[in-house]
Amino acid sequence: MRAARLLAALTLFLVVLVLPGTILLGDDISERAHKLHFSSIVLDTHDDTTQRFFSKTYDLGKRNPDGHVDIPRMRDGGMNAIFFSIWIDGRTMGPPAIQKALDQIDAVQQNVKKYPNDLVAARTAEDVRRAHAQGKIAVLMGVEGGHMIGNDIRMVRIFSRLGAGYMTLSHFYNDEWADSSTDKPAHNGLTDYGKEIVREMNRQNVLVDISHVSDKTFYDALEVSNAPLIASHSSCRALCNHPRDMSDGMIKALAAKGGVIQINYEKSFIDEAYRTASERVSGGVVAVFDQFKKECGDDQECLGRKMTEMEKQATAEGKVPHVSWERIVDHIDHVAKLVGPDHVGLGSDFDGATMPEGMEDCSKLPKITEALMRKGYSDDDIRKILGGNLLRVMEQAEKVSREMQAQN
Amino acid sequence: MGWTLRRVAVAVAEGSLLVMSLAADSVSEKAKKLHFSSIVMDTHDDTTQRFLDPKFDLGVRHPDGSIDIPRMKEGGLTGIFFSIWIPSKITGPEAVKRASEQIAAVREQVSKHPKEIVLATTAAEVRAAKKQGKIAALMGVEGGHMIGNDLEVLRSYAALGVRYMTLTHSGNDEWADSSTDKPVHNGLTDFGEDVVREMNRLGVIVDISHVSDKTFYDVLEVSKSPLFATHSSCRAICNAPRNMTDQMIKDLAAKGGVIQINYHVSFLSQEFRDAEKKDPSINEGISKEVKKRCPDEKDEACQLIEGDKITREYVAAGKLPKVEWTKIIEHIDHAVKLVGADNVGLGSDFDGANMPYGMEDVTMIPKITGALLEKGYSESDIRKILGENTLRVMSEVERVSRELNGKK
Repeated sequence: MRAARLLAALTLFLVVLVLPGTILLGDDISERAHKLHFSSIVLDTHDDTTQRFFSKTYDLGKRNPDGHVDIPRMRDGGMNAIFFSIWIDGRTMGPPAIQKALDQIDAVQQNVKKYPNDLVAARTAEDVRRAHAQGKIAVLMGVEGGHMIGNDIRMVRIFSRLGAGYMTLSHFYNDEWADSSTDKPAHNGLTDYGKEIVREMNRQNVLVDISHVSDKTFYDALEVSNAPLIASHSSCRALCNHPRDMSDGMIKALAAKGGVIQINYEKSFIDEAYRTASERVSGGVVAVFDQFKKECGDDQECLGRKMTEMEKQATAEGKVPHVSWERIVDHIDHVAKLVGPDHVGLGSDFDGATMPEGMEDCSKLPKITEALMRKGYSDDDIRKILGGNLLRVMEQAEKVSREMQAQN
Repeated sequence: MGWTLRRVAVAVAEGSLLVMSLAADSVSEKAKKLHFSSIVMDTHDDTTQRFLDPKFDLGVRHPDGSIDIPRMKEGGLTGIFFSIWIPSKITGPEAVKRASEQIAAVREQVSKHPKEIVLATTAAEVRAAKKQGKIAALMGVEGGHMIGNDLEVLRSYAALGVRYMTLTHSGNDEWADSSTDKPVHNGLTDFGEDVVREMNRLGVIVDISHVSDKTFYDVLEVSKSPLFATHSSCRAICNAPRNMTDQMIKDLAAKGGVIQINYHVSFLSQEFRDAEKKDPSINEGISKEVKKRCPDEKDEACQLIEGDKITREYVAAGKLPKVEWTKIIEHIDHAVKLVGADNVGLGSDFDGANMPYGMEDVTMIPKITGALLEKGYSESDIRKILGENTLRVMSEVERVSRELNGKK
């Protein structure tokens, strides 16, 4: 028994020595980091768990053996505010997209209703703070893709009223009025109607999310929007050259207007070696997505399962390199060095992406706090990154919305 | 004309509808006082179709149609249910999209005139609006085909403020038979029963106007809350399938429901109905003329308003009988004699039907109060008919909803 423990300690010591730069291992969180993390508002702006709400086997209230998010694990990880993503494949457009989006919004609301002791619906920064004070998890929603409004500005008002706190202007494909970063440009950024939609989002207090959109769409949105923008789940192109990530120039421009980039944990977006290898193996995220879409149809759970299986196999066969969760911290640090700690946050993409090792689910989040602390970040700055920055943007957007409505 | 003089006129006229209506056209001081101090509700208006034209402004007086804010004020209307309606042949996601647009359109019109009109979803909010001197705007979805066979969508509508749903329109939908279609479900299907129970839970009033007699009886058995017929009249006076038999009215009343009298000439007057039936070329001619004047097939507002105008042209040409507004009083009186004053109200169908002479628009409704006073109705009974019965059902539906949700 004692020998075993000694051996474990020795192994730990060796691993630390062998992996330079790896300071933390496993769940080794200091008291101080633990205290800071669990007293903070920890807000995640992008989770695809909504797709699982339609599965008979999944229960948000119970600890699930798979996936990344459920209430027990959110509690373990101190995640107390979450944007559940309303998402359907970008090739489903028009009225069917609207109906499916409404279905998903209701599914989120029904879960809030089902677990009133743990969850509470939130639409404003004040709602999030109140939930935190009550020890509850604030549930917010983001519509991931402008294709879900069926090319009708009125649907922005409907989704806003039903609780959508942000809308991503496109998903993987261009929609009727905005170009995507992973499609051939068709609109040269935002169309005139797209610009009108952005202004309407400002008026309705729906945050403009520029994750997924083309660089030109981003700059168009930045110019048109009266409120700061968010990238709800994007990382840094300087560290991993994926079109879904943001260039340093974009991050600077976003920050200059008060916006926030919420770091995505997807391995293909945070690790250049992984990205290039996986593109060699599978042809890239969109190609893989298209392939599995054919096999799974509308069954999003099937899609997630297939992606995880493929990714596991490729890693096991050595076709793609291992990626450590610490790459997430590298991206946060890159942004903080570039534009300061006021413009970066967390947008995991849990249940919608392949997670790096050590960030298998949301229970691992305290490790980020610990890592930032060890890097010398102040408690204040860490709180901002964990959630404060996003709340600041929400408050500014709320103010802009009030002003625009008063002008009406 | 003064109170005494009119009584003389009525006495002299003795049964002559024309003279009586002319006499009653001026409303006594007493009636005015009663009318304008009462809660006056209208459970069915199709003005929403006009809101789809971005240029339409509810806040100004219009030379056509029956409803706008100035005329609602003039007619002393306290609360109005704007109907969310699309033809029943449109189903599935397209129906969901268009219904959502109309909900957004109602909300927009209301938000443009915050000093005069306010959105209401409860009986208490209607009373609060009256106290503030504002008109209460409510919403009803006219046809179960608009939920796209989907309880999630029903819940979304409820969350957006919809407070009643008519189970069908003129065609059967996926789960309920209409009174003007061939029966295919033998009333309400099992899913239809789920819809009704969910409506009870949500506090959305179940409206049995338009449904088949069998559907009505199925609903009456399933629903835990009292029902509305939001715009139906009495079959004993005018034998239209859209109207209710005496037995149906009795059964509705026995469970606390309310029949809201529809002012459509073809539901009020047997004579009018017979004339239409005798010469089918009349309605064909009207339809043809409507198509000519409203070339845009989707422009329902044009079709409804022009339809009313063209019908009047036929009346003027002597091809159809002239129906006076006093027919409305006959229907109210019939229902009151049958079940008492607690189960009757007003559901005009303004901007969606052909109005009788003397009830061209909402400014005319004080005449109803005047006529009921002259018939010897007590002030308290008149208040019930004008709106208190509607509010009683709303309150009861709210109570049942709270109970079903486990709240006191």
